Amino acid sequence: MSRPDATAGTDDSTDSADEPLISLENVEVHFEKEQGLLDLFEEPDVVRAVDGVSLDIQENDVLVLVGESGCGKTTLGKTMIGLQRPTGGSVKYRGRDIWETKAGNTDLSFDEIRSSLQIIHQDPGSSLNPNRRIVEILSEPIRLTHPGVSAGERRERIYSLLERVGMTPAHDFADRYPHQLSGGEKQRVALSRALLMNPDVILADEAISALDVSLRVEMMDLMLDLQDDFNTSFVFVSHDLSNARYFAEHGDGRVGVMYLGNLVEVGPAERLISEPQHPYTEVLRWATPNLALDATEAGEPPMRKIDIPDPINPPSGCRFHTRCPKARTACPKEQPELETHGDRHLVACFRSDEDHEYWDSPEIED
Amino acid sequence: MTIESQQLTGADEVEDPILEIKNASVTYDGGDTHVLNDVTFSIERDEIVGVVGESGSGKSMLASAMLDAIPAPGRLSGEILYHPDEDTTIDVLNLSDEELRSYRWADVSMVFQGAMSSFNPTMKVGSHFKDTLRAHDEDVSEGMDFARQLLSDLYLDPERVLDSYPHELSGGMQQRALIALSMLLEPEVLVMDEPTAALDLLMQRSILMLLEDLKEKYEVTMVFITHDLPLVASLADRMAVLYAFELVEAGPRDQIIGQSGHPYTRALLNSTPNIDAPLEDMKPIPGKSPAPVNVPDGCSYADRCPLASEECTAFDPEFQLIEDEHSVACHHWEQARAEIALNFAGADEIGVSKGGDSR
Repeated sequence: MSRPDATAGTDDSTDSADEPLISLENVEVHFEKEQGLLDLFEEPDVVRAVDGVSLDIQENDVLVLVGESGCGKTTLGKTMIGLQRPTGGSVKYRGRDIWETKAGNTDLSFDEIRSSLQIIHQDPGSSLNPNRRIVEILSEPIRLTHPGVSAGERRERIYSLLERVGMTPAHDFADRYPHQLSGGEKQRVALSRALLMNPDVILADEAISALDVSLRVEMMDLMLDLQDDFNTSFVFVSHDLSNARYFAEHGDGRVGVMYLGNLVEVGPAERLISEPQHPYTEVLRWATPNLALDATEAGEPPMRKIDIPDPINPPSGCRFHTRCPKARTACPKEQPELETHGDRHLVACFRSDEDHEYWDSPEIED
Repeated sequence: MTIESQQLTGADEVEDPILEIKNASVTYDGGDTHVLNDVTFSIERDEIVGVVGESGSGKSMLASAMLDAIPAPGRLSGEILYHPDEDTTIDVLNLSDEELRSYRWADVSMVFQGAMSSFNPTMKVGSHFKDTLRAHDEDVSEGMDFARQLLSDLYLDPERVLDSYPHELSGGMQQRALIALSMLLEPEVLVMDEPTAALDLLMQRSILMLLEDLKEKYEVTMVFITHDLPLVASLADRMAVLYAFELVEAGPRDQIIGQSGHPYTRALLNSTPNIDAPLEDMKPIPGKSPAPVNVPDGCSYADRCPLASEECTAFDPEFQLIEDEHSVACHHWEQARAEIALNFAGADEIGVSKGGDSR
């Protein structure tokens, strides 16, 4: 897919116009687990949802975050768009710290940031007010962004957008209530509402996971078409590597693999899938069904344990070492850094360093 | 054999059926609304069948029909025959309430989507196992030993799981505990309706692998019902495809994936995000499936089908055998194979052009 500008690549020369849209530096999000009265005098349990993530999002960029439930991908996505306050590190929007802006300490208004960063959820039903018609739901963002627009013109814009997202006849859909729509239609309304805010970034949080498999390609195509029309970036959160591949490849973006709060591999989708460097990426590859007849049977999974460890006390060193089939005694000792492995490809595994002490240490056996 | 009225429909042609569904229909509103329409399908002893259908295709109705558990006020007609062994036939729709209660756990057991709604949140997981044993007059301590065995077969720590409340377990653990519970009375058949849908892909695939192990170990026949065709394709021996409340295709897994004859099955395969297929070949299916109140005359898929002819809108295609064990309800299945290319490796390599495979 061709792109109107070239700012999205990470390999561009850096002049000030190429300042990233969103910039995360060493972000951590830790939650204190709720405690009962009896635990009052004990140290609170801390859930380490996101730890030490640094990442940039450019204009018109596509970033897909993949990983299993509990890996922190949704928390990281929400942190990127200012819905979740990080407990460490910084999140910047066009060079301004989002949370400093909220406190009134920058030259930008927080409202501007809020409308620039939008989200669509996995379950669109719960994010649409059941007592309001679609036309009313979609009028709100126009009123916010264009207070001078007349009711007639608002309606016109809504109709044309509904048609654009494939909901025809638009006047018919506009007068319906959310419960009169299918799951896919609700998701289109949620997407339309986000787009009416003229956002720079839309976080699509498992936005297609609840749809039938056969409807997912259509929804992803629509999001990517609209990305071109509206000039937005997408952060797409998914647990499904084949969806990640489709979205990232069509949007010429990157896939970031998360495991227990860390980014463990980042790269272009096809490279990540054809030459996974991190053993956890191989696990996700195994988990992805394949219709090619010689590959339909799954075989044994390339991991030692089925369940993800508790994020309250994540394993030391490389957090994947408790499940990794290639783990050696060097792995629990220190945490591997995310390092460059070829063009636009980053990986956090000692195995990508030929000289690492990993290679001389014995295998871990259960 | 106790089956006399053997119809020559392919799905009926299994050698040793454990469960036979004959002309099953489910209607609401005094017969005006069909949510399952004349489905005939047999399940072979010790196989894993994958039943694929999109939302609103009637797949959950088919699952409920197998247990005579259609939600009121729905009406189930047709026949459901259960064969505990080759020479015995139980007519499920004529069982007494007491017999049905036993049938639903000890003969044919069911796992639903979303373990959270199947477990009572105020009861520990272990109590669910004990209550089930008591309700069926089973020896509790013996039964709990078996429960622990099942839980560890499913890679769970039995003591921890039994002593936990459902919400204290992850979604994947809950769903595995529910599968263990459904196996507690050693059923012959396990019917699962979207048993992994709310879980991430890694957990889904892990559970599929465990189901395969369970099947081998306890010789249980499995029916896995889902919208996710590629997922169940990795597990199933045979597959059946539902569209608009009817069975449109059934056959061995490799035939359904590699040489499907129904245009809908082929469109469904091509619409699936796939990890290897060329990206530009993945295409959505145009149009929508019909609502239960206005299923069209003739073939229900005709208005979305690129091959539809006058014949299709006039005559409902019969569900017919096109080759060994492979049945399709389509007037143009040969044309479908020739003209609707599949987008993944290995498909259609055998026998597309040589229609000679067919009868």
